[in-house]
Amino acid sequence: MSESDVKHGLTRIDDTCWEIPAEARADMRVPARVFADAELLDEIGGDLSLEQIQNVATLPGVYGAALAMPDIHQGYGFPVGGVAATVAPDGVISPGGVGYDINCGVRLLALPVTVEELGRRVEPLVSEIARRVPVGTGRSGGLKLDGRALDRVMTHGPRILAAEHGIGTPEDVERTESRGCMEGADPAAVSDRARSRGAGQLGTLGSGNHFLEVQRVGAVLRSEAADAYGLSEGQVTVLIHSGSRGLGHQVCTDYVRWMDSALARHRIKLPDRQLACAPLSSPEGRAYMSAMAAAANFAWANRATLAHRVREAIRKVLGRDIAERTRQVYDVAHNIAKLEEHGGRTLCVHRKGATRAFPPGSPDIPPAYRRVGQPVFIPGSMGTSSWVLAGQPGAMERSFGSACHGAGRRLSRAAAKRRVKGDELRRELEARGIVVRAPSNVGLAEEAPIAYKDVDRVVRVVERAGLAARVAELLPIGVVKG
Amino acid sequence: MAYEWVEHTAEVELLIEAGSEEQVFADALTAVGELLDDGMGAHDADVAYDVTLTAPDRAALLAAWMDELVYRAEVDGLLPEAVERIELADDGLSAAVRARRGEPRPFVKAVTYHRLAFEPTADGWQATVVLDV
Repeated sequence: MSESDVKHGLTRIDDTCWEIPAEARADMRVPARVFADAELLDEIGGDLSLEQIQNVATLPGVYGAALAMPDIHQGYGFPVGGVAATVAPDGVISPGGVGYDINCGVRLLALPVTVEELGRRVEPLVSEIARRVPVGTGRSGGLKLDGRALDRVMTHGPRILAAEHGIGTPEDVERTESRGCMEGADPAAVSDRARSRGAGQLGTLGSGNHFLEVQRVGAVLRSEAADAYGLSEGQVTVLIHSGSRGLGHQVCTDYVRWMDSALARHRIKLPDRQLACAPLSSPEGRAYMSAMAAAANFAWANRATLAHRVREAIRKVLGRDIAERTRQVYDVAHNIAKLEEHGGRTLCVHRKGATRAFPPGSPDIPPAYRRVGQPVFIPGSMGTSSWVLAGQPGAMERSFGSACHGAGRRLSRAAAKRRVKGDELRRELEARGIVVRAPSNVGLAEEAPIAYKDVDRVVRVVERAGLAARVAELLPIGVVKG
Repeated sequence: MAYEWVEHTAEVELLIEAGSEEQVFADALTAVGELLDDGMGAHDADVAYDVTLTAPDRAALLAAWMDELVYRAEVDGLLPEAVERIELADDGLSAAVRARRGEPRPFVKAVTYHRLAFEPTADGWQATVVLDV
């Protein structure tokens, strides 16, 4: 082994995978593995990510290895970009392993026009989308649902919106991970406090790193998959990044507290209180799965409502025909826990800032995509490329069917603001022909490209590791930020 | 006021040092108010609301306190301005918060238990809280 094969206490086990053995700490039950190249690993080693992924490797019932994707960065409890599978029924479920923004995820819409055909209508389109999509405050502008209507959304997801509210189409629902509905959702497991936070927030974007981007398809690297996804060079797309809003935040808060108080009863000791967990088969574990599923369905309904508002903007600026022929390519979750079959076992796969990436032939992806693999969307940072990938067999062999979820932060918000002025960034993006609609220059600076890793490098590692293959690059032409 | 923001790659980490436990809670309110500030400045129509919380330990109580302030901001549009009254017990607190109606910045998703701490020091108390933003 050469010196370059050992970095930050990790040993290189192949081209893109590094490992901390289970013996590194007395409380680790399995190894911790990181998918990265040497340069990314240097960035990863700069914060507490590696300690956090080792903490995850201590969870009761954890199986195989605790995994980190190449976009990993320090989070709370789990690192962002972390994947861990626990063995059902007695392994644990950890709400912090899903995160506060339950089913934060990405939806991609494809318009039947090219950027050349769009011409000078880019600015009016982005402006109209910004007018119709509430950002900023979480208290107004959302579709107000309460009582039974909210229960039905939490139970059934966007299917109910399509059937009863004219929001989205049955085809959209088919082209959504899990068809936009996790089984076992129980609104009764969601507190009144969570309901009150979510009641008026359906169809709102939220703040932080949530955004909506108008793009053009750049280079197409795999034409068969691009054809299947209905994407071609020059085409206009809209990418929506949002989650379950206050409802999901509160569900996680409620269950972290409850599980924290039950740790002694379940005889669980943890290196970090935020990893609070309970056996899947316990009352706490079962209730959380029901509440998480309800929040996940709410999040899919939120992105469906956001997509509906985008289509309304398209109708106003580009006409009804274009709006009606705007298709949903797919919608993926990147903060979620799911019961899945891997290697003949039923596992609870926690994906905290990681995307499901099922390969060709999987019965869990839409028939139209089954030949090429599940679409995986990797948003870059503001003003840089995003990527469409296709799930590959290596994901099932190496990462419990998972890939990365973004570029991954490398600088804190404060550090980003020290290096970048929001008004200068706004001018720079506009000078590159990117229309920016964001209420705050401070918010822009916090999400500046310099704050993130190189998304192109991240997706190349994912591809070399065999987890997902690059299909097409998406280049920004308009950004709406919360 | 004795609090500071500590560098964290993705989230916001708050460090409070105060002479008394009550002051830790008061400083936490000021910090939450800073994060949620809508930039609209002082407002004539101040309102007050009561808070009653229970928690198994001081650190969890501090997290619950900050969560309550974030919740009232998100749902009722109330920006916390000051602690009018606070009484700490072994397993909880009772308090009155002065706030103003506004459009709080929707910046804080949640108050986490990651690195959560509330400990005595030679001069008083020190607390650490990481917020998901």
